[in-house]
Amino acid sequence: MMSTYYAGLLADVGILLLGALSVYIILATGQLSLGNAGFMGIGAYITSYLTVIAGVPVTLALVIAAVAAGAIGVVVGFPALRLKGIYLAMATLGFGEMVRSFFLNLGAMGGSEGFHGMHHISLGYIWSWAAAILLLIVILERSRVWLDMRAVRDDETAAGLVGLNATTIKVGAFGFGAAVAAISGGLFAHHHVYIEPGNFSFERSIDFVLAVILGGSTVGPGALVGAALLVMLPEYLRFLAEWRFAAFGALLVAMLLLRRQGLLDRATFRAFASRRAA
Amino acid sequence: MTSHWSKALWAAGLGATLAVAVALPAGAQTAEIALGAIVPSSGPFAEWGRANTVTLQLLEKQVNDGGGINGAKLHIVILDDATKPAQATNNLRKLSGDDHVLAVAGPLTSSAAEVTFPVANEMKTVATSQASSKPGVAKLNRPWAFRNTIDEGVLGRTAVPYFKKTFSIKTVAIIFDAKDATAAAVGGRIMPALMKENEIEVVNTDPLSFNTGDLDVSAQVTKMKALNPDGVVVSADYSQAVTVLREMKRQGMIKPVVGSTQLISSAILKAAPEIPVIAPATFYATMKGDKPEKFVAELQPLLRKTAGLPPEIEPSMYDANIYEIASIYIAAIKASGATGKPEDLDADRTKIRDYMAKLEGFPGLGGPIGFNDDGDAIKAFYVLQGQNGAWDSKVRGCSAAPGHPGC
Amino acid sequence: MLAQQLVNGLTLGAVYTLIALSFSLVMGILGVLNLAITELFMLGGYFGFTVIMAHLPLPLALAAGMAGAALVAIVIEKLGYQPFRTAPVVTPMLSTLGFSIILQNVVTNVWGSDPLQLADEVLTQRYTLGGVSVSAMQLTVMGATIVLVAALAFVVQRTSMGRALRAVAENRDVARLLGVSASRITLIAFMLSGALAGAAGVLIGLHYAAITPYIGVEIGLKAIAVMVIGGTTRIWGALIAGPLIGVLEVMTVAYGGSQVRDFVVYGFMILILLLRPQGLLGGSRSDQGQRV
Repeated sequence: MMSTYYAGLLADVGILLLGALSVYIILATGQLSLGNAGFMGIGAYITSYLTVIAGVPVTLALVIAAVAAGAIGVVVGFPALRLKGIYLAMATLGFGEMVRSFFLNLGAMGGSEGFHGMHHISLGYIWSWAAAILLLIVILERSRVWLDMRAVRDDETAAGLVGLNATTIKVGAFGFGAAVAAISGGLFAHHHVYIEPGNFSFERSIDFVLAVILGGSTVGPGALVGAALLVMLPEYLRFLAEWRFAAFGALLVAMLLLRRQGLLDRATFRAFASRRAA
Repeated sequence: MTSHWSKALWAAGLGATLAVAVALPAGAQTAEIALGAIVPSSGPFAEWGRANTVTLQLLEKQVNDGGGINGAKLHIVILDDATKPAQATNNLRKLSGDDHVLAVAGPLTSSAAEVTFPVANEMKTVATSQASSKPGVAKLNRPWAFRNTIDEGVLGRTAVPYFKKTFSIKTVAIIFDAKDATAAAVGGRIMPALMKENEIEVVNTDPLSFNTGDLDVSAQVTKMKALNPDGVVVSADYSQAVTVLREMKRQGMIKPVVGSTQLISSAILKAAPEIPVIAPATFYATMKGDKPEKFVAELQPLLRKTAGLPPEIEPSMYDANIYEIASIYIAAIKASGATGKPEDLDADRTKIRDYMAKLEGFPGLGGPIGFNDDGDAIKAFYVLQGQNGAWDSKVRGCSAAPGHPGC
Repeated sequence: MLAQQLVNGLTLGAVYTLIALSFSLVMGILGVLNLAITELFMLGGYFGFTVIMAHLPLPLALAAGMAGAALVAIVIEKLGYQPFRTAPVVTPMLSTLGFSIILQNVVTNVWGSDPLQLADEVLTQRYTLGGVSVSAMQLTVMGATIVLVAALAFVVQRTSMGRALRAVAENRDVARLLGVSASRITLIAFMLSGALAGAAGVLIGLHYAAITPYIGVEIGLKAIAVMVIGGTTRIWGALIAGPLIGVLEVMTVAYGGSQVRDFVVYGFMILILLLRPQGLLGGSRSDQGQRV
């Protein structure tokens, strides 16, 4: 029987994992998104509206929210094609802030007072989604789709010459990432049974990116390692009392210095995977 | 050389064994009663969390020096939620599930309470917030959630008429922090309704707001000044309200200000001493009376000695509230015969919950305390006027509810 | 009221310009988003306040803020940028984030989380001109901004160090081949941007007379928007974009609703990014970032 404290932490890990994966998917095509908390917020609010006001069962609500967010992701993905590197990152940052500002003003869903009424979902349910999506991505990583994405990331011009449609791939990645972030949001809303616009700020977007970079930006399960690290580390550092966050910041820098590709990379993952098989 | 070392090792080993031998049976005999607390010791409200911690440590010492609770030693486990609601929920899970506390004091902010109170119901452990005043938070989470605070709507009903009468207010402008849930609720909903009730006209037709963390509110204040109201409603946490008051002073807009409990602090008295500030409070450091004066006399030196707290710090309303919460829990344990034994945990927690639901006339620091059906406190409050660096109590009110005795 | 709001907008704009400039010094030359700049700004404010509260003169406060922030910037450069020169741009950005977390925590522990306020404000004389009221401190902030921007532009355009900075920004390897010490230049860029952020912190902190460890957070994101709108590699761009955005924000509050203010500012930033990504004053479109 797991302590509910660890159950709570695991729920947070699952939700963060999905958010991290949403960044990972988009990053795989060479685009850095600093605004995925916006998609998470969209997912949270749509799912909550559907279950609380429209009486839709939560699984269906999540699917609808994911599709809607995915569509918005595609819409965002098109203008994003014109931007590269840090400029794209800044545009996504702006997008995230705009979404937060939008929900702050949306009186129908509570505005800054937040929204209540969702029913609680279990840890098992959260992880069913998280594990399923992680598995999907691990499978996709071995497929042609991911190869195409990496090709576009490495050299867009060359990829185009080989016959890949960079537009479809990059825009599609945005849509897919947005959908995954939306599911993270919907699960968040039903785990905490209360949401407010402040939950979906730039700080959240950065947490997603942090999880990917720390955990391993070249393999999907890296997001899992990063998410676990980000949730557990502040808990283990409690003994440092008021210096907890300074220590966290210092550890962050140290980890990046020591292993900049993240804790998990393709070599480690292969070694781990082959050991399991043997 | 070796003989010295080996002798020392033997002595140490023997000493250790003896210590363990003595400690073990002693440990088995001393029962312990655990209470939990969730406070923000890091982040933007770090000062409140650290002051709350000192307050609870004071109470723990007072109780244990006085013989404990029915002979058992009191232990208050204090966890930091870093002003992040998700951490507060996990803190409650840890306190309730792993540390087996009988009840929890906290969390502090309304944002944290909104997500932590449902967990309190899930874990069947009483949680009482020392500062959340956003309307309806405990009400939505009965029966295990309580708040030792008064709904801002109730407080405003006494503060606003006093404000109107004292400064002959016929028109106001309302400015609030749109990013803060409590401030937005008060500034966007409660104050406009109260103004209407008191026949005060709100001169700004569209809402005037800013975001938590904004340094510059010059545009908003210039707009307010142009509308020339008799008074201003500032609904924001005092760290932000300081920015508004200073800008008002800078632009020469010296008009009386009224707000919620969020304004109560010593910081706001320093912002613009010539601007009168009216706000409600359930406790203030210069309060007269045996209990509050004793509390301040004991707590203030401890606070001022604590590293990381400013040297001129005074006990705040939130320190008083959390002290009262823990005291109520202790009284509940004594009165209901809770044993603190692991096998009685669920029964003990239920006893505390029932005691609190029926509570009337508990001797708090500012007067008698009880809880209404919404889980909010029935206690005395004071409308304070802050001017020229000091708070002055002007009106005494009571948040009595129908069907419950008053203060 | 319109004229007064314009003055408000220009003051706010000066704030944005200074911080945007600090960002763009590192961004333009090294392509890195240094997220610690907002905390260097905050730190400068605290150093400045400490000097003023000890009744020492304003120029000393300015010097303390600039020197303190520049020193911390050196540490950040050594630990947070140098080791990641060859890594994708997101990595040094995240390590500067780590530093900003550390700085916020340290400042909260040393000075407390409650606002630190000045009992007696500095340069409070007010001048009234036709219904518009402006304080001496406000004029100092605006004046100092122009002076700092001009000084920076002079350094970058007319001095040999500035030439070296531009060379490294253009192409680091070629610059090294031509004899420029790229690592020294990088250090100088970080120091300058730190000093600028620190100066901004002192001036702006003294103007508003109340600071908390979190003043950098909200203003930092807007300053990034200003940097983008002005053109990340153009110094004069920040001088134009700062007041532009400041006035836009103020006018939105004054005549629209204060609620939609953020929406308007970030919306404008995205518009500029889509229509003219090199910014208002930017050069050719090839001024684009490298692969993330």
